[in-house]
Amino acid sequence: MLHVVKQGSGLRRALRCSVAAAAFALLTGTASAQMLEVAVEASPAGLDPHIVTAFASSQIVLGPIYEGLTALDKDLNIIPGLAQSWTGSADGKTVTFKLRPGVTFHDGKPMEAEDVASSLRRVLSKDVGSPLASRLSAMESATAVDATTLELKLKEPSAPLLASLTGIAIVPRGLETNKDALQRAPVGTGPFKFEEWQPNGFIRLAKHAGYWNAAEVKLAGVKFNFVPEAATRQVGIGNGQFALLPHIDAATALQLKGKPNVAMQETTELAYTLIGMNTSKPPFDNAKVREALNYALNRKEIIDAALFGSGAPAAPLPAVLKDWAVDVKDLPCYAYDPAKAQALLKEAGVATPVAVSMTVLPRQDIRDIAQVVQQQLGKAGFKVELKNPELGQFVQDWRNSNFDLFASTNAGSIEPDDYFYRAFRTGGSTNVFKYSNPELDALLDKGRSTLDKPARQAAYRDAQKILGCTGPAAHIAYPTLFSAVRSNLQGYDIYANRSLVSLGRASLR
Amino acid sequence: MLRHLLQRGLDLVIVLFGISVIVFLMIRLIPGDAVAIMLGANTEVTPERIAAMRGALGLDRPLLEQYWVWLSHALRGDFGTSIWTGRPVMQEIAAQIWPTLQLTLFALVLGAGLAIPIGCLMAHWRGGRADLVLRVGAIAGLTIPSFWLGIVMLITVATLAPSFASLGYVPFSEDPLGNLQRLLLPAIALALPILANLSRLVRTAMLDALSQDYIRTARAKGLGERAVLYRHALRNALIPFVTSVGIMTGYLLGGAIVVEQVFSIPGLGRLILGAIAERNYPLVQATILVVTVGFVLVNALVDFAYALIDPRLRTAS
Repeated sequence: MLHVVKQGSGLRRALRCSVAAAAFALLTGTASAQMLEVAVEASPAGLDPHIVTAFASSQIVLGPIYEGLTALDKDLNIIPGLAQSWTGSADGKTVTFKLRPGVTFHDGKPMEAEDVASSLRRVLSKDVGSPLASRLSAMESATAVDATTLELKLKEPSAPLLASLTGIAIVPRGLETNKDALQRAPVGTGPFKFEEWQPNGFIRLAKHAGYWNAAEVKLAGVKFNFVPEAATRQVGIGNGQFALLPHIDAATALQLKGKPNVAMQETTELAYTLIGMNTSKPPFDNAKVREALNYALNRKEIIDAALFGSGAPAAPLPAVLKDWAVDVKDLPCYAYDPAKAQALLKEAGVATPVAVSMTVLPRQDIRDIAQVVQQQLGKAGFKVELKNPELGQFVQDWRNSNFDLFASTNAGSIEPDDYFYRAFRTGGSTNVFKYSNPELDALLDKGRSTLDKPARQAAYRDAQKILGCTGPAAHIAYPTLFSAVRSNLQGYDIYANRSLVSLGRASLR
Repeated sequence: MLRHLLQRGLDLVIVLFGISVIVFLMIRLIPGDAVAIMLGANTEVTPERIAAMRGALGLDRPLLEQYWVWLSHALRGDFGTSIWTGRPVMQEIAAQIWPTLQLTLFALVLGAGLAIPIGCLMAHWRGGRADLVLRVGAIAGLTIPSFWLGIVMLITVATLAPSFASLGYVPFSEDPLGNLQRLLLPAIALALPILANLSRLVRTAMLDALSQDYIRTARAKGLGERAVLYRHALRNALIPFVTSVGIMTGYLLGGAIVVEQVFSIPGLGRLILGAIAERNYPLVQATILVVTVGFVLVNALVDFAYALIDPRLRTAS
């Protein structure tokens, strides 16, 4: 038996050795100076800026790697991007862009008007099938007049055009029918160029030496680490392994608040959470039932219970679009009133309790929202059964309008047209509600094709009144978006549209 | 021996065939196919194009035909390409298999290696206070889930030694020390349940062996205590131990999925998880097959280990 004990002490020695080795590693293991370590939840599916839509991909792609003709500043104003200036013709059907000179792609080739024209055509190409196509639906043709002048011909005047162009990346020419080339090897004009992708590990970008504004870029590179576990991301920013956790939710942010050397930036997100209704079948084909559902919701309570109080009750447009948004207080149906909801259901002539099912997007905050909504609706004459499919099933049901109600989230932008046209116009590409209202259609068409701002504002104001009461979606909340920033990272600014474009100006101390 | 090898090879083929059929059906029977997931909320794509995409992936053909196409290619060594990245699936697996292999091996060495001395100690101190403490510890080790232990260790280490890099993975060839440093915590998290399980097993087996007649005989003929323990008792106690190690390897590959997630290690586990979520059929099939082959091979090795440990089995086969 003696020997066994001896073996034990040998083990102890071995353990002591490995502790020493670990301590040594700890002293020597330092990261390179200006490489920014970022932790994000999910690995992107691809990096083609015209194909990927998920936040996971687009935050890495647009801004750091790619740029559009126009861009947004921190306060969501449209500013020049790769176009220095633009002029519209009197009839609003021709827009001429003057391009920034001296811009080069990451492969060293100069960016010219022909690349821009080719990029716009690529978005509309049937072979590529870009989800951005509807944003350019007004485009008739794009022609390079000379190397730095682009002429865009439109079928009809398009008010949202400049806003839409902020989201359309300029890629090298010659890829108009190629949907594979850019997915794994992006070539853009942005401050950082793609270097390495370790699947499930990280994506590493390096400074683009030929960037048109290279003097402003201080980071040597950015490494996006894919860290699926929230607790792990917290540990990483706590001990300085990561310097930035961009766009985290309230639950994570609350746990990180007050940690030494970690500052929190916050803004109200442009995306919103919603309860969608299927207007192609009873009971939600009846406008009164939809109105009742709005009265039955206590949005403040939902935000407090499901989002830790971090969010703003959602009108059809977010308050940050101050030129356009109608205030929540001016929407009568947003007053919480279960008795009124019951009365409306009686008026509608449906038998109470109204039994419906709600299909829930598999994301924690949405699941929490759905549970609170289920309770609130229960008090107002509905009986809601929750369905929790996994993502693939959810997408399929959503796409095929196979639901009574669904709880999910919809992306936003700085343009009312983006919020409404696709989702709520008759035949709109994401109108899974199968909602059709000629009055609303007319307003949305007007908002799209009128260049006169006061007239547009009036149209969208009326549209919001319709959507806020009897529309097919009950808007719930614009959640607060947080970024956790390590104290040695300077110059990073959180953007309400989740853009990481400010990394081009950031530096590490 | 040759017959034994052949028998094993035949077993492997049957198991692989069975697994391939099950995996093939299961991944296709869950709702939402690859094309639907790939498109997500993208409604710009026309139904004709969706049909064309399904056609290009062969998803529009009957299941039996799909399986036959896959099988006939696989038999020629072609396991297809990843639906999402377009790269050969074997290339994808090769890129991510090393962290998992290393982690599994590390945890196995740690768990099984420590289980023998600890199990012997427990047997030696049986009934005593130290034995009791170790046995309660072993039960705790069995019941604590690896992912919880992983997160707790992460947070503890981050608090006590903030600069200890414990997340992610660097290849051994690039930075040997950084590699071991990052694998240490996940390996411990994985090893603890194995250690708990195997040390209890060694304890029982040792106690069993020590009460056998041949031990008394060995002592009676004047053998030293060390020889009695190692040449006679431990050797016999090792047979159930080795069997368990083989089964544990399967557990490790499963546990690695969770631990890789917690420590954000780009390994096979996360590859499988991602592939299932995105309905990447060829990748799911190939990764599961690779894991199956690994499991069957380990258990074949266990069989040979029996023969090394126990001469009686050598002559019997």
